[in-house]
Amino acid sequence: MKAYVAKKVLSLPLIIFGVSIIVFIAIRALPGDPARLMAGPEAPQEAVDSMRVRLGLDQPLPLQYVKFAAEALHGNLGLSLQSQRPVMTEISERLPYTLSLAALAYLLAIAIGVPAGMTGAIYRQRIPDQIVMVLTIAGASIANFWLALLAMNYFAVELGWLPLLGADSWKNYIMPTVTLAILPMAMIARMTRSSMLDVLSQDYIRTAKAKGLSSASINWKHALRNALIPIVTIVALNFGSLIGGAVVTESVFNWPGIGRLLVDSVRYRDYPVIQGVTLVAVTGVVLMNLLGEVLIGLLNPKIRFD
Amino acid sequence: MESKHKHFKVLTLAGCLWASMASASVFASQLVIMQNEPPRSMDPGNQTATFTGTVLDPMYEGLTRLGDDGKIIPALALSWTADESGLNWTFTLRPNVKFHDGTPFNADAVVANFQRHLNTQRGLAGSGKIRTFIQDVKKKDDLTVTFQLKKINPAFLTVLASGPGLMVSPQADKAGSINNKADGTGPYKLVQYKSGEYVLEQKNPDYWGKSSGPDEIKWTWSSEPSVMNMALQSGQVDIINPVPPQFAGMLKNNANVNLKQSPGAAVFWVDLNTQSKALSDVRVRQALNLATDQQALVKAIMFGYAQPANSALAPVDPNYDKSLHDYPYDLQKAKDLLKAAGYADGFPMSIAVQAPDARTAQVLQGMWSKIGVKLNVRQMESGVWTKAAFADGKEKAAQGTDAVLASWSSGLYGSDLQLRPLYHTSSFAPGGANLGFFSDKQTDDLIDTAASTLDDAKRKDLYFQAQKQISGLAPQVLLFYQDDLYAARKNISGVVMQPGGQIVVRDAVKQ
Repeated sequence: MKAYVAKKVLSLPLIIFGVSIIVFIAIRALPGDPARLMAGPEAPQEAVDSMRVRLGLDQPLPLQYVKFAAEALHGNLGLSLQSQRPVMTEISERLPYTLSLAALAYLLAIAIGVPAGMTGAIYRQRIPDQIVMVLTIAGASIANFWLALLAMNYFAVELGWLPLLGADSWKNYIMPTVTLAILPMAMIARMTRSSMLDVLSQDYIRTAKAKGLSSASINWKHALRNALIPIVTIVALNFGSLIGGAVVTESVFNWPGIGRLLVDSVRYRDYPVIQGVTLVAVTGVVLMNLLGEVLIGLLNPKIRFD
Repeated sequence: MESKHKHFKVLTLAGCLWASMASASVFASQLVIMQNEPPRSMDPGNQTATFTGTVLDPMYEGLTRLGDDGKIIPALALSWTADESGLNWTFTLRPNVKFHDGTPFNADAVVANFQRHLNTQRGLAGSGKIRTFIQDVKKKDDLTVTFQLKKINPAFLTVLASGPGLMVSPQADKAGSINNKADGTGPYKLVQYKSGEYVLEQKNPDYWGKSSGPDEIKWTWSSEPSVMNMALQSGQVDIINPVPPQFAGMLKNNANVNLKQSPGAAVFWVDLNTQSKALSDVRVRQALNLATDQQALVKAIMFGYAQPANSALAPVDPNYDKSLHDYPYDLQKAKDLLKAAGYADGFPMSIAVQAPDARTAQVLQGMWSKIGVKLNVRQMESGVWTKAAFADGKEKAAQGTDAVLASWSSGLYGSDLQLRPLYHTSSFAPGGANLGFFSDKQTDDLIDTAASTLDDAKRKDLYFQAQKQISGLAPQVLLFYQDDLYAARKNISGVVMQPGGQIVVRDAVKQ
């Protein structure tokens, strides 16, 4: 286990190196010239060219990459083309907003998704199960920006209960968190349900029942712990899609996180910011996956890592 | 049920009252404005975006300023004179003015401000506008500067009033902080620029002039039009700018909101690639114009918030020719022209459009199919579109780009900045915005002569001729002039809208 984790941690730089090259090439393959976008369509070519020199975009791509990589190794991700501020500053100002939103959304998703899935499994094929199934299908299919707009219109405009935009108070967290939580909540509920169904049909559960244990004790202590492994897997592996959801949610709610930063910087082809945000997100996803694997090992010592 | 409803209404009304009273006492004069994109820089010289200019306006001033009636008035310069050639100008500066950081405003500051744009090493985004016509700026004494121009520019005094013409503190520019921390001489100064959230401005107590605006101005932004709409309706913001036409009708009917509409400076048109085989024939280009039902387009796409376009210049331009009317909607005449050109059965062509304009292109597709033209709509994300639109002739031929849907607004900078980049032979893409490689000696001459003519009436006559000439040769299909729209809560007054979509809020009043 320890060796496995060590190996994974050591492979992390390699993954990030690979991703950095892919991102570096991919964003430059996108048509669109940052200098032209900043100077505007009516600017004379001469002015655009002199901007390109200032931004260092006139140099050959391999040289640009080497410079970027060398700086990145020293923890410096360069300057934003747009704001001229260090990319690290931009990201570190925004990251807490995204992380707190993601963490709250996950907590909410687990707090509702797990009991809902258990209910579905315990009342299999009966009314509660059908309600849970309908809700999870709806939750997994609804586009979250649409849900966000609907919620905003109802709770902020019609009723005026919640603030529409920004991140000034705890009330601002409610709508983005719920919106972001819907999809993982539905997935966790479905996963919990099917995993619980598997476990509930096992011999040891029948034994437990025969022993006369209360159903609460069977469901929560014996069944859930064994059903938990696939749930942890899905939570860890879906961190990436949660970040993807945050991009949309943050844009709609004017949430000052890295998702909105990414959208704005793609629009202006702010290469250093796009690179920085992507690298940070990739690192986060890889670490989450690793954390998931470690947790699975702790939950089920039978699983071996080689 | 009935009574319950009423009860609920009374409650919410009371809630609203309480809420508005509370906000009245705490934020008595904070004006909140939401636009559709974030500001690109806090340095007016390092950006070219209309909606960044709006944010910076309360904090900066130029030597001149645009009055509410659109006339040029003195700002940081008290007066100015030009010699007979129109190339040498002398400006007398306003004394006792300080930048927000305490740096005095004087001739040295003016020279430093223009030198940073004349210096090609700096690579500032807005420099192009200055470098094209200003040769040099010199200090004569502490409160006098002289400008030497490369060529006559009727829009010179207007250029001084915005964008790269605005004065930034030379100290802040030198320190490199100006991009994030605004530092001008305006009636407001920057409190905080929280990237991704807002820009907060506060009244400058040391301002040299008078200002009747609110204590604070807060700018926010959202790229989602429906979110802007909701923000205004919920009262969380006081003003939204611009209003997308599809929401204009709804806001017009909202009792809490004023929708303000003014004729815009943006011309929407389809640029035709005159090097494409079919489109090299002027009759084919004219036929496309005749087959375009502008009224229907305005109704379908702009919900009526636009005017059909009859000239390459917009109606806000002082040299605009209202009388031009070369292309009424006439399918028969269009078919006849195509037949004469050898395209009786029509021909296929492609058009490059940005996502927001895709619907316009689809409507054109339907209209032009009636004369047999098969329009292939190629929808693109804006960066991709820019690349395709500004491709040179060879690339356009290789990519098969026959037309580009575009819009152009020279705002207040006058006819030359509208006609020269779009129709002059020297402006072929990628260097300029003559996207269809239109080249006509007479048009070039008219544009050149007009630009160097000082007499207003003579210049106007030349521009009338140029408009007529361009219209006849139809290097483009003119579509419409989009109205500028903004919306404000009923308790807001004193907002001025300039042609080009820039709103001026420094003297706005919130009751």
